[in-house]
Amino acid sequence: MTRRTLELELNRVEGDLTFQVELEDGRVADARCIGTTYRGFEQIMLGRTPMDALVITPRICGICSTAHLYAAVRALEDAWDIAPPANAVHIRNVSLMAEIIQSDLRQTFLFFTPDFCHARYAASPRFDAIGAAFTPFKGWMHLETLRYSRRVIEIVALFAGQWPHSSHMMPGGVTAPATARRIVDGQSLIAELTRWVERRILGGDLGAWLEIAHADEFDNWVLERPEAALTLLSQAARFAGLHTMGFGSPHLLSFGAFALPEPMVGRSHWLASGVRFGGDAPVVPLDPSAIGEQVRYSWFKPHPGGKHPFEGETVPDYQPASERYSWIKAPRYGGEVMQTGPLADLVVDGDPLVVDLYRREGGSAWLRQLARLRRMTQLLLFLRRTLDQLATRIGEPHRIPVPPDAKRDGQGAGMLTAARGALGHWIGIRDGVFDRYQVITPTAWNASPRDSDGIRGHWEESLIGVPVQDPEDPLEIGHVIRSHDPCLACAVHCLDSGRQIRFGV
Amino acid sequence: MRLLWMQAGACGGDTLSLLCADNPTLEQLIEEGLELLWHPSLSVAPPRYLEWLIDAITTGRTPLDILCVEGSLIAGPRNTGLWDSLRDRGKKDAIAELAEAATYVLAVGTCAAYGGIHAAPPNPADCVGMQFDKASPGGLLPAAWRSRSGFPVINLAGCPTHPNTIARFLAFLLRGLPVTLDELQRPADFFSTTVHQGCSRNEYHEYDVEDTILGDRGCLFFNLGCQGPLTLATCNQELWNGRSSKTRVGVPCFGCTSPDFPRDTSLFLTEKIGHIPLRLPIGVQRANYMAYKDLAHEATPARLIRREMEP
Repeated sequence: MTRRTLELELNRVEGDLTFQVELEDGRVADARCIGTTYRGFEQIMLGRTPMDALVITPRICGICSTAHLYAAVRALEDAWDIAPPANAVHIRNVSLMAEIIQSDLRQTFLFFTPDFCHARYAASPRFDAIGAAFTPFKGWMHLETLRYSRRVIEIVALFAGQWPHSSHMMPGGVTAPATARRIVDGQSLIAELTRWVERRILGGDLGAWLEIAHADEFDNWVLERPEAALTLLSQAARFAGLHTMGFGSPHLLSFGAFALPEPMVGRSHWLASGVRFGGDAPVVPLDPSAIGEQVRYSWFKPHPGGKHPFEGETVPDYQPASERYSWIKAPRYGGEVMQTGPLADLVVDGDPLVVDLYRREGGSAWLRQLARLRRMTQLLLFLRRTLDQLATRIGEPHRIPVPPDAKRDGQGAGMLTAARGALGHWIGIRDGVFDRYQVITPTAWNASPRDSDGIRGHWEESLIGVPVQDPEDPLEIGHVIRSHDPCLACAVHCLDSGRQIRFGV
Repeated sequence: MRLLWMQAGACGGDTLSLLCADNPTLEQLIEEGLELLWHPSLSVAPPRYLEWLIDAITTGRTPLDILCVEGSLIAGPRNTGLWDSLRDRGKKDAIAELAEAATYVLAVGTCAAYGGIHAAPPNPADCVGMQFDKASPGGLLPAAWRSRSGFPVINLAGCPTHPNTIARFLAFLLRGLPVTLDELQRPADFFSTTVHQGCSRNEYHEYDVEDTILGDRGCLFFNLGCQGPLTLATCNQELWNGRSSKTRVGVPCFGCTSPDFPRDTSLFLTEKIGHIPLRLPIGVQRANYMAYKDLAHEATPARLIRREMEP
């Protein structure tokens, strides 16, 4: 038996990520995911006026700033018992959908697929076609993704003014109405984007693709469309064996997203919330009180067991020489390690194709990446429908007046699905300022270190058993981890409540 | 030209902003000869290559034309920088060494320029900018520091920096165009315009029609914290994502290209003396401004009072 420890930093993720990986006879026997940066947002929020969250929290993350804004505004509305008008909800949804489409495109074709151009895969019968598509700054798909991800983000800018880092949502609504001009611009952009996705990614009609409900139909779809980026991605990933690895936690968590102000096509949300514990268990309703964060292996002042974010504290306690090893806490749901992201979203929501593929082969790295593309294509449809709905309601209010006495002390939560999965902001307001602000990001769920019982986090677990052909260039680890769409910018500096402390001499 | 991009305490927003640049685009710059030696989000090479590269650059084996730094420089705890570590040392130390070897050093974003959002009170991670600590000269590098080109750190400020400000400035360097800096070391070509210039709410400002709640059509300067008349950036001269700007959709300018971003006071409130903002448009005298506003108020057309004009 040969045993070897690797320390790997990982690029093409958002933020800094280090893994310590133990190899045993060419396979990963143990893994530690290390968040290496502490930015200390929580202490910045404490003592600030509640509205400041709309400016500061989007800046937690450059690739999902709209999701943070949306979570912050929902937390404030929860605390103040405010319900925004229908048009405001639709406009917020448009912004978040466009941001997620942007993120899914960039993650897939700028961060994930370049690895398939590696010389190790030269034996693949599709290697030339894969290189012609996915080579950075040369391949057609890489170049077109750069171009069209810029286009989709224009939809956010129509309503938010700019992306990233706008603050166009406020308690009671949004700052600008959906005028006919904005709607028609958005519709034109989504039409252009849809045509591109159909031509280049799917190789066929969006509606027909979304009708696919069975694994064998999917197999036929890609076989019949050898030049589509979806096919190249799927074939490259399967050639690399990604359908046989990277499973991680079987427990799936989705906060849901895109609540509809009134039912549309029989739905109350574009993505339903829920939890599914392992195997073939049924989806059960989300219980926000089941969330707790543990810190036994994190560089924060220790406390036993898990604390709900309304009770949590964050006191940095950097002990590099101890058994603790990360700036990420360990969020758990009912004590269990959960995975969140597009795969969890679509299984919980009941997308027939993803559910069928999940049943066939499990939640592999391949399926996780495929689910991300599937969700992106669903959002194209939801986004178009939302704009069409807004077009029927031009002139309706985009905000309601918020009486000054509504802005009272209290607590609130804003929970939704961001590009990478379940995002929550939990706030406490006292004497008109924040006395608690805690964020649990999707990546905190996925990238968590071990918990109080020593159970590995989802990413860590997903690496166990992964074969590593060349320890000097552990391509497989990169595939598996990138399939989770890491956003360390988010994870490692969760906003948390905590007392203000000072360091230094 | 060879470019190395380092992310310190960052959200990645300036990288995403660069990807949003449409004139020129990143891919155009690369076609034109910009060589990305390393970018954490875009490079294919494994991260060990970065280690090798840092060594090659700092020992003079590989020339470095442009060092871009994104994010606040984290000094905590106790000036070790280990709260943002790279191979068991503070990343800030690696960045300082790289800066010595670079022809041009660009602080991309207000975090890298002045400390930014992470340096807001109580500055929990002990953040500074590359060559400033908020508005005070001297940050990670001392005020007198100069790069090999003779320039100090060039501050492409913004949170994030306007997409085309990053891309155009890189094009300036690629094409050898002249560079002049203002007192805050920002390139004058991109920081000689107030956000107020080109704001589509200008007429409301002109006639003193001021909103008191968010979501309306009037001016945001008197009550809602807008910093447009005191902030230098191209946001309303060159639209974001080719489409719009914050003030055009009713979001106040928060002054994110300024060293004091984010302000310590409530960001959606304008501090006032009497009914006039405490901080006036750049260079304006209070007495004159009061007289002008009183006169303008008298001249307001009814169409503005009724907010009939779409911003």
